[in-house]
Amino acid sequence: MPLKLLRVRLMDLVIVLFGVSVITFLLIRLVPGDAVAIMLGANTEVTPDRIAELRARIGLDQPMPVQYVHWISGVLRGDLGNSLWTGRPVAAEIGQHIWPTLQLATLSLVLGAGLAVPLGVLMARLRGGVWDSAMQMGSVVGLTIPSFWLGIMMILTLSAFAPELQMLGYVPFFEDPLGNLSRLVLPAVALALPILASLARVVRSAMLDALQQDYVRTARAKGVPERLILFKHALRNALIPFVTNVGILTGYLLGGAIVVEQVFAVPGLGRLLLGAIAERNYPLLQATILVVTFVFVLVNFVVDLLYAFIDPRVGS
Amino acid sequence: MRVSKLRTILMAGAVALLGGAGARPALAQALQVAVDASPAGLDPHIITAFASFQIVNGTIYESLTSVDKDLRVVPGLAESWAVSPDGKTYTFKLRSGVTFHNGAPMQAADVVASLERVRSKDIASPLASRLAAVDAITAADDATVTLTLKEPSAPLLAGLSSIAVVPRGFLADKDGLQRQPVGTGPFKFKEWQPNGFIDLTRHEGYWTKGEPKVESVRFNIVPESATRQVGVASGQYAILPNIDAATALQLKGRPNVQLAQTLELAYSLIGFNTSKPPFDNAKVRQAVSFALNRKEIIDAALFGSGVPGGPISPALTAWAVNVDRFPCYKTDPAKAKALIAEAGVPAPIKATMLVLPRQDIKDMAQVVQQQLKSVGIDLELKIPELGQFIQDWRNSNFDVFASTNAGAVDPDDYLYRTFRSGGSTNVFKYANPEVDKLLDEGRVSTQPEARKAAYDRVQTILACDGPAAFLAYGQLFSAVRNGVKEFEIMPNRSLGSLARTTAAGR
Repeated sequence: MPLKLLRVRLMDLVIVLFGVSVITFLLIRLVPGDAVAIMLGANTEVTPDRIAELRARIGLDQPMPVQYVHWISGVLRGDLGNSLWTGRPVAAEIGQHIWPTLQLATLSLVLGAGLAVPLGVLMARLRGGVWDSAMQMGSVVGLTIPSFWLGIMMILTLSAFAPELQMLGYVPFFEDPLGNLSRLVLPAVALALPILASLARVVRSAMLDALQQDYVRTARAKGVPERLILFKHALRNALIPFVTNVGILTGYLLGGAIVVEQVFAVPGLGRLLLGAIAERNYPLLQATILVVTFVFVLVNFVVDLLYAFIDPRVGS
Repeated sequence: MRVSKLRTILMAGAVALLGGAGARPALAQALQVAVDASPAGLDPHIITAFASFQIVNGTIYESLTSVDKDLRVVPGLAESWAVSPDGKTYTFKLRSGVTFHNGAPMQAADVVASLERVRSKDIASPLASRLAAVDAITAADDATVTLTLKEPSAPLLAGLSSIAVVPRGFLADKDGLQRQPVGTGPFKFKEWQPNGFIDLTRHEGYWTKGEPKVESVRFNIVPESATRQVGVASGQYAILPNIDAATALQLKGRPNVQLAQTLELAYSLIGFNTSKPPFDNAKVRQAVSFALNRKEIIDAALFGSGVPGGPISPALTAWAVNVDRFPCYKTDPAKAKALIAEAGVPAPIKATMLVLPRQDIKDMAQVVQQQLKSVGIDLELKIPELGQFIQDWRNSNFDVFASTNAGAVDPDDYLYRTFRSGGSTNVFKYANPEVDKLLDEGRVSTQPEARKAAYDRVQTILACDGPAAFLAYGQLFSAVRNGVKEFEIMPNRSLGSLARTTAAGR
């Protein structure tokens, strides 16, 4: 089973990455104002000759298909190119910015998904009651609050109550673990809330569905304790839609990180991406999006593997 | 097993806490500054953006001359200079005991190399025009630099204040200083974490004894305005330099935060394309000025923090002509309509206004749109993304634009390149022989009175008849924590006073 799945998934990965590489390549070039124009800014001392020379240096004088082939063949050889502005290898720039984002995304995912399961089960258990309705309402609020607004509100509130708390910027975990966590906890919460809300709803409805099933009735008839019915029989079956949604939400997480990093001044991939767009830093932008896409597809691949683990019928 | 693990975690936590507490006093010596944008590079001869300028100017780099907070030219790395009677030879005596951050002494050869670098076609420095009059640059000895000019140049000394002295050896190197700046200033470059921060540390061999007062400065790059505000209010940041009125207004009255302010050199303007109808007609341009209510614009877009101005900032008290002397600054819609009728252009006038994508300029553009509508000028606003704006602006691809202009300490510098026919930033394609003649005069005359007379006349012509309607000079603010002393806000946005700044506690 896993071998065939692996092959199919690998093909998917290649196709998706190819599509994304073409789309990002074209999109950023369709935006008016190329890298050279932005690099020169309001500098009017520059002669047209020099502009042409700069464009040639970056390769912008070539036809677009040639530029694409040149770039993608480099990527296939493992060379992501150099940043147009700093001249540093793109791989190094991404390597420097990826850790805050990965840490932030993992932290919010653990927080959101970890709390969603017990919360969803609780909501299913209390179905129809006042508490269930209250939590349902709460989850709608959680889903609709934009992360950036929540982030700013949290900063404002906390700065009033705990002005000593270092909550802006980023320090690497191994340099200062406490400082690292105190700076990441707010952005992680801001990112996790919508995940928590949406996943708790998924778990609730999947649980309700599972609790209607024959095997639950049979278990009840056998006299299996309610706790076991909930967590062993029903929950395990309710986990499939949960896991699927975790995979999809990874996409949201990586997108949301862009906004949240901006608010909390975290130097992560999101900031790198925004900067690359503003500067028309083509190689940097293209590579960053490829990496993000790769992570997204990879997570969903892991999700597929998890199906087989949760439900033995899958793939057999 | 489980217990011992828990204990380890607790101990690690305790150590981290202690470590954090222990690190505090050292932190107090690092001045935390928050800025909004990541600089693209730090080469002082190549950069054009304020984001880069404010990090290097006066902190990492110094120039032959310098500008004080009243915008007067004062000695910098040159301790004195002499001008020949014909005004064509400048001899600079360099300060002794100045060293670069790499330990090498600063000598005449470095100054010559720096100025040559700015003049080099290959580097294409935006500062090159400031040395336009220079014929030859020579080092008489290690401590003397001589500039020979083609013609006398009144703005030379002011222009030199913006040209940083870098070590020799970078003449053909376009990239070396962008990431690793080396200067003579009070702070040396230490580390740049992209999108995170830029760290400068004290230059131990700095020529002013006892400066800088702090061990290091960290420029935190914090894009979100609300985050910067909270950061300074809570004490995480000590200084928010060069913020706009909107941000300053929100920090007003916060405990432990002081606001410093000064009038900007930069101004906002509406520029016209004078190469095509209807704005090729000076009467239509005048009509626009009569239709504008500058006070309303300042109230709406700058929250009242600004003053109307002409082509020269009122901050330059020695040069600026009072706006009361510009007849078209009196709001008079009837007169505007009469002028449009007189001009004989088809009514209503329809045009597209290209708007710089910056909040205050966008706000101004909307007010201007309303005000002009009442006299029969219909403006359609086009707010492109920055790259597109620059491209259209550079190529004069507009009817009208709304933007900002940086201004300069000496009137020649930007008046000449902006309003002289054929000037490098004359995107209006404006050509007025009288203005050309006056600008030429102002440039070569070394008589202050004659220059003053020429520029007074230029301002009067440009204010009403010129290719731009000058709108407002905004107040520039800096937010500073209590306990931070000797920080001075400069109209040109330089942060050179950080060398004298001290910070007590957090």
